Amino acid sequence: MISEVASPDADAASGEATSPSRRFGYIAVATLILGLILGVAAGLVVPRLGNPADDSVEAGFLRDMSTHHAQAVEMAMLAHTGSTTPGIVTLANDIALTQQGQIGYMQAWLRDWHLSPTGSEEPMAWMPNSAGSIVDGLMPGMATADQMTSLRQATGNDLDVEFLTLMRAHHLGGIHMAQEAIELSDDENVDWIANSMVVAQQGEIQLIDSLLKQVQPG
Amino acid sequence: MSTPGPERVPSTVKVDKTTGQGKPPAAKSGSGKPGSAKPGSRPGAKGGNKGKGRRPVTPVKVSGGRNWGPIAVAGAVILVAAGIIGYGVYASVQGSQPWEDRAAAIEGVVDYRSQNNAQINDQTHKDGTLTYVTNPPVGGAHNATWQNCMGDIYTEPIANEHAVHSLEHGAVWVTYKQGLADDQVAKLRERVEGKDYMLLSPIANLDKNVSVQVWGYQLKVDDAADTRIDDFIKTTRVKASLEPGAACSGGNTTSDPVTAGSNGTSMDNGTQQ
Repeated sequence: MISEVASPDADAASGEATSPSRRFGYIAVATLILGLILGVAAGLVVPRLGNPADDSVEAGFLRDMSTHHAQAVEMAMLAHTGSTTPGIVTLANDIALTQQGQIGYMQAWLRDWHLSPTGSEEPMAWMPNSAGSIVDGLMPGMATADQMTSLRQATGNDLDVEFLTLMRAHHLGGIHMAQEAIELSDDENVDWIANSMVVAQQGEIQLIDSLLKQVQPG
Repeated sequence: MSTPGPERVPSTVKVDKTTGQGKPPAAKSGSGKPGSAKPGSRPGAKGGNKGKGRRPVTPVKVSGGRNWGPIAVAGAVILVAAGIIGYGVYASVQGSQPWEDRAAAIEGVVDYRSQNNAQINDQTHKDGTLTYVTNPPVGGAHNATWQNCMGDIYTEPIANEHAVHSLEHGAVWVTYKQGLADDQVAKLRERVEGKDYMLLSPIANLDKNVSVQVWGYQLKVDDAADTRIDDFIKTTRVKASLEPGAACSGGNTTSDPVTAGSNGTSMDNGTQQ
């Protein structure tokens, strides 16, 4: 096989003498073997070199969105447990399960990339012009500790309205972050999940608005 | 490859032939001095080895000269390959140092995981009040309900029984001596606020100003500004989880102690009180 491959090469290089062609054959074989070694080595190393770095947009987005999602799950679970409005219980169920599932995706990619699940940078540091967007350590759209306490204590209609209002703001913040990630990152996985967040949460905002009309007095 | 004998013989013959034929070219290749100059010394040795009979056919020079190019190329390729492999090995070794080692390497950290203390390793759920080996605890049996650890700031001491369950879920529990100066507490608060898998609470009888712990690792320092606290958090947060994917929300959000009679199975501890 190899000599067959090699000889045409050699012929092409110098068709005159047989001895140079034979030598070129050996060179070709050596080159093939070297190429093989190089290819294997590159194959082992390049995937890791191609992974997003610790301070990349991708890592920052996945970490921050994990934290952002975690609060949405917390709010949704409170509404799922406390609300008696069927449409809200269903929405809360959908948000909690979807976003918890997405946290799993995001954390798994960080793990695949041999990156820590958490970063040491400030939240949102991966987004340009994000300075000032963090209030009391909270990313855009996140509920404050007081709002969470209030939501925990709320019942009935108050709970419904508070949950929908907080989740609406939460989605707006999340959509903004996801859109920035799509803009800044070319990573296939990141773009895919961020895009799904934008689409799903924009749809849910419409649902939240209609539910708000339903539960808000007047 | 399978027939090295037969192949080799003709090849050597041919090499010699080449050299024979190559003598005229040698003169031509004289223009390529860099090529012929170096091998000049080598072929002499080769000729000596190969046999006295062929000595007259010295121009092994030429074959050597022609081979240097490919050898140089091959050498360069090998160097590049070795470099890439070397970097890959370095990178993977560097990146694969387990977080446990990095945590234990932080000055002042006590590694309880390596002690294999059965009481600390105990992951069972138990009702009522429990006692722990260390203060603050770094592991052990705990209440079925965890303490909410969504960056929660507790201004009063919380129940160990709940907090240990948060450690099991991968939370970093930042504690300080109750009554610590406000500016010191503020420095700790900044690190915890808004971050899931973090919680902050005072402890009445703490022997140092600040104690930071995850399941099985603890760091005690006197100054809330100590950067080792940041190293500890960065290295252990979430990673220390014994149940990957377990949540910090849905836990107890009060500072109430666990009562001796409580069965601890209610998930509503936080929401109802």
